[in-house]
Amino acid sequence: MSKMKAHPRPDMSQVPDNLCPVATIENPMLPGDWRAERPIVDRAKCVKCGICWIFCPVQCIVEKRAWFDVNYDTCKGCGICAVECPHRAIKMIEEVK
Amino acid sequence: MTAYNTITFDPSRCKSCNDCDACMTACSQIKSGTDDLLYSRIKIIAGMNGSLPELALCRQCGDPECTKSCPSTALTKNEQTGVIDWDKSLCIDCLLCTVGCTYGGITYNMTLNHVAKCDMCDGDPACVKACPSGALSYVTSAGIFNDQHDREDLFVPGLSACQGCNSEMIMRHSLRKVGPDTVLATPPGCIPGMGSVGFNGTTGTKVPVFHPLLTNTASMLAGLKKQYNRMGRNVTAMALAGDGGAGDVGFQSLSGAAERNDQILFIVVDNEGYMNTGMQASGSTSYGSWTTTTPVGSEMKGKRTNQKNLAMIMMNHNCEYVATASTAFVEDYYEKLDKALAASERGFAYLHIYSPCPTGWRFPSSQTIEVCRKGVETNFAPLWEYERGGELRFTHSIDDPLPVEAYLNLSGKYRHVSEEQLQHIQEQVNERVKTLKRFAGLN
Repeated sequence: MSKMKAHPRPDMSQVPDNLCPVATIENPMLPGDWRAERPIVDRAKCVKCGICWIFCPVQCIVEKRAWFDVNYDTCKGCGICAVECPHRAIKMIEEVK
Repeated sequence: MTAYNTITFDPSRCKSCNDCDACMTACSQIKSGTDDLLYSRIKIIAGMNGSLPELALCRQCGDPECTKSCPSTALTKNEQTGVIDWDKSLCIDCLLCTVGCTYGGITYNMTLNHVAKCDMCDGDPACVKACPSGALSYVTSAGIFNDQHDREDLFVPGLSACQGCNSEMIMRHSLRKVGPDTVLATPPGCIPGMGSVGFNGTTGTKVPVFHPLLTNTASMLAGLKKQYNRMGRNVTAMALAGDGGAGDVGFQSLSGAAERNDQILFIVVDNEGYMNTGMQASGSTSYGSWTTTTPVGSEMKGKRTNQKNLAMIMMNHNCEYVATASTAFVEDYYEKLDKALAASERGFAYLHIYSPCPTGWRFPSSQTIEVCRKGVETNFAPLWEYERGGELRFTHSIDDPLPVEAYLNLSGKYRHVSEEQLQHIQEQVNERVKTLKRFAGLN
């Protein structure tokens, strides 16, 4: 069994309806629209140390070949990455419509 | 693809040392065998007009300018180590690389007649070891990214935890590491509250998860684990509980499971209160904290009683493995998680993670890790581990702690704390360290 990936969901059709509620669908909510501030990565300054990835509570940091970037669909804009980045490569800017 | 180790620089710490030049001397010595600072590949440039000093050193950029401006391919980025290697035999001394670099990281040496740059001393930088103030540090947590990022995050991306939630970070890191062969229990609190168990027929977790009562998390898991064992399936029984669900109302089942040494991995996220339901105080709430049930007014000035030390209570159960951890020291946490996971095959493993809460403790969401870090550095939240039959072992130095104000000043919940209260908290911290030291056989 793979230790890396989630197992496929089991076939629930055999589970009796009146057993107890069993959730089978993953929650599709994406919290990207919570943001008041948006983190911007300065690609020239990023040295790929991975600190932002480690400290991101949402785990929304994605790796690119030469830098780390942010998945704005899930980033809540907490600002931890901007504070913790040792080379100050991440800035928070105001999110505007 | 990989993440790389890096040398970081904190100018405020460097300033206090006032031109010690230790890093530059160490670099000249190790690279050229001389004390002449001209040979140093790291340079500290004094700040003008009272501003902070600056660091001139190769950053080993992810997307380096120097390799792009080099016409003879003498400079190349090493994909394994991340270091930008300079090949003397290919270099034509055109110095174009020195023009491209923003950091003064590659400079011409008049005596040697060629450029010189930092090569990170093959992963053991001499400058960092020589730095007396800790301004330079060698950050190696890239290894965690390299080891873990291929594993799937076993929570869905959309959990409705507050911005900057430390618990969410702990959950995602922990479950990813423990893996998909897990049954997860989360008693009432922030962790199921943010949607890990799910809402309206949807689930937030990619492993079987259930929601016991506050009181029976450990006993339900103990039963489940026994049934899985009977069926011959090797499954990790894991709990992610808050300090209230573990230490207050859930304590009898937790204590029972620890006493029976049931095969459970029990992770407690200690945010010092019932933050999910509106920041009520728990047994783990520290003395002097503001909460909605220990308000600050003319009579009452925050919590009047001391916090109980749940991790030490669990250690006295003499179960398989007990440790405290903090997310600011992530490498330390991963080591402990490894040991706890192995211990949970044999018996009861307990991890206590200090988890500052931006919403309930009243600090900006971006400061979560800084609060964690200061908690450890002031000895307010000392890091240690204990294995059955062994001695308690500190995993972060408890010597020369910062004064406890450095930690308290960061959180609004201690804003009202008076001189006497402050003194009381400092005494509590000292006392706790003294007790722990006794268990560690240090005095």
